[in-house]
Amino acid sequence: MNILTIPLRNTWRKPSRTLLLLLVFTLGVMSIVALYQVSLVIGDSMEKKLSTYGANILVSPKNETLSVRYGGLHLGDMLYEVQPLSETDTVAAVRSIELKDRISAVAPKLVTTTRIGETPVAVVGVRWDDELPIKSYWVPEGSFPAAADEIVAGSRAAEKFGLAPGDTVNLMGRSFTVAAVLNPTGGDDDDVLLADLETVQAITGRADEVSFLEVAALCHGCPIDDIVAQMRDMLPGADIKALSNVVNQRMASIHFVQRLVLSISLVILVTAATMVGLSMLSAVNERKKDIGLLRSLGYSKGRVFFIFCVEAGIIGILAGMLGYFSGYGASFKALSLLAMAEGARPLFDVNHLLLTCAAIGTVTVAAAAYPAWKGAGVEPSRALMAL
Amino acid sequence: MLQAININKIFKSEGAETRVLNNISLEIPPGEFLSIVGRSGSGKTTLLNVLSTLMRPDGGELLYRGDDLTAMPEAGLNRLRHADFSVIFQFHHLVPYLTALENTLLPFMRSLKPASGELVQRAKDCLERVGLAGKENRLPGSFSGGEQQRVAIARALVKSSRILFADEPTGSLDKKTGEGIMNLIAELNREGLTVVMVTHDPQYAELAHRSVMMEDGAFA
Repeated sequence: MNILTIPLRNTWRKPSRTLLLLLVFTLGVMSIVALYQVSLVIGDSMEKKLSTYGANILVSPKNETLSVRYGGLHLGDMLYEVQPLSETDTVAAVRSIELKDRISAVAPKLVTTTRIGETPVAVVGVRWDDELPIKSYWVPEGSFPAAADEIVAGSRAAEKFGLAPGDTVNLMGRSFTVAAVLNPTGGDDDDVLLADLETVQAITGRADEVSFLEVAALCHGCPIDDIVAQMRDMLPGADIKALSNVVNQRMASIHFVQRLVLSISLVILVTAATMVGLSMLSAVNERKKDIGLLRSLGYSKGRVFFIFCVEAGIIGILAGMLGYFSGYGASFKALSLLAMAEGARPLFDVNHLLLTCAAIGTVTVAAAAYPAWKGAGVEPSRALMAL
Repeated sequence: MLQAININKIFKSEGAETRVLNNISLEIPPGEFLSIVGRSGSGKTTLLNVLSTLMRPDGGELLYRGDDLTAMPEAGLNRLRHADFSVIFQFHHLVPYLTALENTLLPFMRSLKPASGELVQRAKDCLERVGLAGKENRLPGSFSGGEQQRVAIARALVKSSRILFADEPTGSLDKKTGEGIMNLIAELNREGLTVVMVTHDPQYAELAHRSVMMEDGAFA
């Protein structure tokens, strides 16, 4: 028997009211936890999906450009002092930065030109396993190459050279089979032929050489500038650019979801806290006699205030615990209904559970603080006369 | 021991002021049984509230063992209410969700430190003293009015208070039960407890050593 006996007993004096209050707050916490879990999973899922729509960092050799004009004639831009990139070293360097966990794909490419008959065409050597994850928008007519002598033709290139899946074509003195023709993408891919990187390197005599690499970085709390800075440190001979539009688009999508979740959570929390505050106001008014009695027995304002706060805190901590577990469970259902998780699982974390209980307990105590302090401050005789 | 000097109390309501206590002076020596009688609205309950520190007066002095209670900070008054003063009310004022034993021990449940076994035993003894042995674990709702008042008296006893303030302690009880309560209070007074009781029943007032009559906020 101590001071906690009073709030503990009172909490269950009116079980229906306590349970109703607990239910309302639990539902609030459940919604917040479920939304948070769903936003986390969807955020990760969205990042992975967004990463498949292209790279957000470009690694290319450092070069100097000279615009050549003479006699009023523009002779075009000339590149000089181009230091080709080593595929092995560059990929290894990118994969070894401190934030390497954020690197989801590294796709090296070697660009060369050749002719089909008299018509020039660009041939891009790629590693299919690295390329396809970041080019999910490629829709092939046919299937992607399974052998080194198979190529993919961009839509305009196929049209230009009359290529269809199953055709053979001679490139740089070697025969290739067209495995697929890409549907129009609206980008540079439409005008080129795509072949196996090692094959292109071998034919052109540029073993281990690449023209540039596309890097896809996951952007959860996207430290894209840090990733670029670390890559620059590792690759001083390379020019590294963040494609900020892509990054910003990804960040905006994820931030939108997070802001939405935060806003809804705040509304739920404020509503639930208001209910606790109102309930406590009514409880304080109902229990003025108890307050007067306790004060007449020498309980200070602080001790009476403590009793009411503990009552609110009990509701808050219980609601936090029940809400966390039910929200965790509800997030599975929500994700399956939304069909957005794709194998991702909500995260159960004991620290989150404790934090939730502490946070919700604090919110309920804060909501109860004003009516509790107001009630505790009433002069004992007035509290006793109130009934 | 407890001395009131020129105590004034004014109630304000909707701009109107009512002087409820008008220059009341009173001395209560240790061991006295004082009854305060008077009609409803004469100010006797207000005087009891002021004397027991449940209400601060608007003027005058209230001296207790050398201290002026009107100037004493809230913390000091809390200590006094906890240790020296006990109040029992007309409507018993028990905490309805605590058992008889817990209600008796309520003065000692002010902190996180649990009531000691010795205190629990003392509370049980007090309940036995007021005739409630074996009913320690019952809730107030299952008691009669007289029994509830006995729990309130047991609560006053357990503190070993110096002064018991009783506001119409038999007001809500039938005659027989009321007499039992009054006999108990008189017995406690004989054992040395100072009693200040408000009543409008002349029969019970006669049990006191001294009676003061109040009328319009002053002694008649």
